[in-house]
Amino acid sequence: MNAPHDLQTLRRPLPAEMSEALRTHFGDRFSVANAVRDHHGTDESPYPSMLPDGVVFAQSTEEVVVVVNLCNAHGVPLIAYGAGSSLEGHILAIEGGITLDLTQMNKIVALHAEDQTITVQAGLTRKQLNEQIRDSGLFFPIDPGADASLGGMSATRASGTNAVRYGTMRENVVSLTVVTAQGKIIRTSRRARKSSAGYDLTRLFVGSEGTLGVITEVTVKLYPQPEAVSAAVCNFPTVHEAVQCVIQTIQLGVPIARVELMDANAVMAGNRYSKLTLRETPLLLFEFHGSEASVKEQAQTVQELAKDCGGLDFEWAERPEDRNRLWTARHNAYFAGLQLRPGCRASTTDVCVPISRLAECINEATKLLEKASFPSTIVGHVGDGNFHVLMLLDPNDQKEWEESERLNHRLVTQAIDADGTCTGEHGIGLHKKQFMAHEHGEDVLDLMRSLKKAFDPNNILNPGKILDARP
Amino acid sequence: MNAITEPVLSYAATASREQVLLALRAVLPPHCILSREEETRPYECDGLSLYRSVPMAVVLPESEAQVQAVLKTCKKLRVPVVARGAGTGLSGGAMPHAQGVLLGLAKFNRIKHVDREAAIAVVEPGVRNLAVSEAVAPFGLYYAPDPSSQIACTIGGNVAENSGGVHCLKYGLTVHNVLKVRVITIDGEVIELGSLAPDAPGLDLLSVFVGSEGMLGVVTEVTLRLTPKPALARVIMASFDDVEKASDAVGKVIGAGIIPAGLEMMDKQATQMVEPFVRAGYDTEAEAILLCESDGTIEEVAEEIERMEKVFQQAGAVRLQVSQSENERLLFWAGRKNAFPAAGRVSPDYYCMDGTIPRRRLGHVLKAIQQMEIKYSMRCANVFHAGDGNLHPLILFDSNLADEVRRAEDFGAEILELCVEVGGTITGEHGVGIEKINQMCVQFTRDELDSFMAVKRGFDPECLLNPEKVIPTLVRCAEYGKMHVHGGALPFSDLPRF
Repeated sequence: MNAPHDLQTLRRPLPAEMSEALRTHFGDRFSVANAVRDHHGTDESPYPSMLPDGVVFAQSTEEVVVVVNLCNAHGVPLIAYGAGSSLEGHILAIEGGITLDLTQMNKIVALHAEDQTITVQAGLTRKQLNEQIRDSGLFFPIDPGADASLGGMSATRASGTNAVRYGTMRENVVSLTVVTAQGKIIRTSRRARKSSAGYDLTRLFVGSEGTLGVITEVTVKLYPQPEAVSAAVCNFPTVHEAVQCVIQTIQLGVPIARVELMDANAVMAGNRYSKLTLRETPLLLFEFHGSEASVKEQAQTVQELAKDCGGLDFEWAERPEDRNRLWTARHNAYFAGLQLRPGCRASTTDVCVPISRLAECINEATKLLEKASFPSTIVGHVGDGNFHVLMLLDPNDQKEWEESERLNHRLVTQAIDADGTCTGEHGIGLHKKQFMAHEHGEDVLDLMRSLKKAFDPNNILNPGKILDARP
Repeated sequence: MNAITEPVLSYAATASREQVLLALRAVLPPHCILSREEETRPYECDGLSLYRSVPMAVVLPESEAQVQAVLKTCKKLRVPVVARGAGTGLSGGAMPHAQGVLLGLAKFNRIKHVDREAAIAVVEPGVRNLAVSEAVAPFGLYYAPDPSSQIACTIGGNVAENSGGVHCLKYGLTVHNVLKVRVITIDGEVIELGSLAPDAPGLDLLSVFVGSEGMLGVVTEVTLRLTPKPALARVIMASFDDVEKASDAVGKVIGAGIIPAGLEMMDKQATQMVEPFVRAGYDTEAEAILLCESDGTIEEVAEEIERMEKVFQQAGAVRLQVSQSENERLLFWAGRKNAFPAAGRVSPDYYCMDGTIPRRRLGHVLKAIQQMEIKYSMRCANVFHAGDGNLHPLILFDSNLADEVRRAEDFGAEILELCVEVGGTITGEHGVGIEKINQMCVQFTRDELDSFMAVKRGFDPECLLNPEKVIPTLVRCAEYGKMHVHGGALPFSDLPRF
């Protein structure tokens, strides 16, 4: 494990004076209760809990300013917290400090249906968003699986199964309201669809994992709900053929909305967990969005390509209940995987490579995993070249953790050498910091550090994440 | 013209012209350095000819090592450097600094590598935009961003300005189509930003770099994402008897869930200006026309064109004409892309604006511009990326007539301020450069401008790369009267902020 060894020495003190100020200002909405701190210091990463010294529940951008100013004045770390669904230790309070819970900032600020944009407070989750705008005929497509908050999704540059069609948060955030480390409220951009005025601060904050500022409002693009949606599933003898099929689909320019790969283990887990009867070989799941005619045409094109690539069968569904049945196995892949080994914890890899290198990388991963002492499954957003190995580990067996970290290291090295990246969508947090130098080179990291220093000179914003401070 | 009267740092004080030339000659062969006035004069401006300035020297390096050496030299002597591609920029981003070196990248003109399977091309910054699409056409691919100047403008310049084009509504801007850049920093270090995989972790420095107008580093290599060429593309020309109706139709098309491959609008002034020049077959009687493109498979295009036609009819189009051949389609676009040259034919001077507004305010803003034409007694042709809400009002004037330059500038400034007022931005794709630096004070608060400075400091703390552009100083904002100043005391007024 790469968890910091001596956590106590890293922790900065929370001055009594500051606690007092927070209590005066926020009353019950400032908590030092163990249960509350524990909830905010535990995430889905393989790391043990690391608790903040206190949790503040903010209800407005102005309240965020108050907390930021106090933290900055006292040199106390500040961790912005949305749904807490991140996977790489983003929200762990490794240096103690205050966790700023934004879930009570969950209102829609303004819906501009004609411009197809919406401005929301950072704590609103994507499901809440889609429920509230259902009647507008629009929807927000980015779907990272978990019901994450829009602020958190922006901070981690989230994506998901349909990024192949709709892009990631990088493409879909129009503007952010951010509280800087100095307590200033800035708006990174306006609502126009494009702008070349000044540096692209929007994209600088998107993916900065809470290290440059606290995002309090997010404006995102919305899309018309597709007129027709259909889904298809196709088995392949090996992963190689499946990936070839995806490459050809994309090269032809078929505008698929989603394409997901599951390896034989993942299918087997899905069959057991969801009582399905899928053939247990690698399979691809497709989803098509568009008009009635174009959806049909897309499915036909893909069916032909699948046949050429050695696809074993091809099932196509238009009705929502049939589509959902086809996709059940993928939606439940994480929990189905966990059930393969009761009591286990999962460590997930997130490598992403150019699609032309995908087949070799997955083949290599499969070979490594066959020799591993623990079970695993592979699922992937193959349209983007992104795949996840779910390694199912005994939480009490240090050897297994070490083996899984070595394996992850091999996969990441291989991905970076294939001109890919150690993380396609989960972000860096704590867990992937170790790979940043290999991937970017020290000069680029120095640049990132100097930006961090320029925006947050006292290093109060989510310290120790993405980058270590300059040695 | 109003000369730039606000040099914050006196660069000339640190190195004389002779010293600079001597140092450059030590690192570059003689044919890569231009220093006589007749050689440097051609570089005095870019596409924004209102602003001119002759550099101390022009260097035209031939290798990455030479670029590194030039930047190290300039850093050592504290001499400003302005990078330049084809010089087609419209906001003065490549205008030289009088006490600085102009770094031309024209000799970096090779397409280094095309990977058909991964659909990427690795090119040098001096490669022309159109040359990329031409080179990859045999593979059924093309490079989607297509600024109107694509025949001349370079990829390096596109990266610096985050260029768009008529097809960026569907296919995105430069930032969406660049995967990776190789950059030389002001310290002469080589860095690579971005990755071939869709998402590089950590801070998204690639996005920060794209559109940074030469203020963060000099590009020496760009990896582009290529797009499969659609089987078919057709354009509808829809005529309207009122600009507001045409504007509403834009929102209706997109509201109907259609994302056209291009959606452009031209008003009567523009079509009448272009038609004699290009003979594109435009309806010159209409108050405004929309050009709306559909691309995809044959069935998709047939279906989409039918839906688009229905929307336009409901929006009150008086005439619809669909391109019947690839030639006719290209002719429709040729008219649009030649609007600027056509303006040059009918008017001694023109001034092109670039404000971008939320789409639903188009009608309102166009009507307001019509009122301003009366106020300033000047003509203004409108030709623009309607789907993006990106206006390009072309103000027609004659710089030989007394007062016309000033009135044209005031007219332009009023349009841009209106854009900001309705929730838009002062520049959609042409960049800020020197031209729109005052309007930056309107669009951004001091805290926001400070954030820009924080980025700048991270890359170039001494502000040697393209100084005095893009980010206005506090002094400038105060003079422009858009900043609240307490009792005449300006915080940190001595800080270099440009």
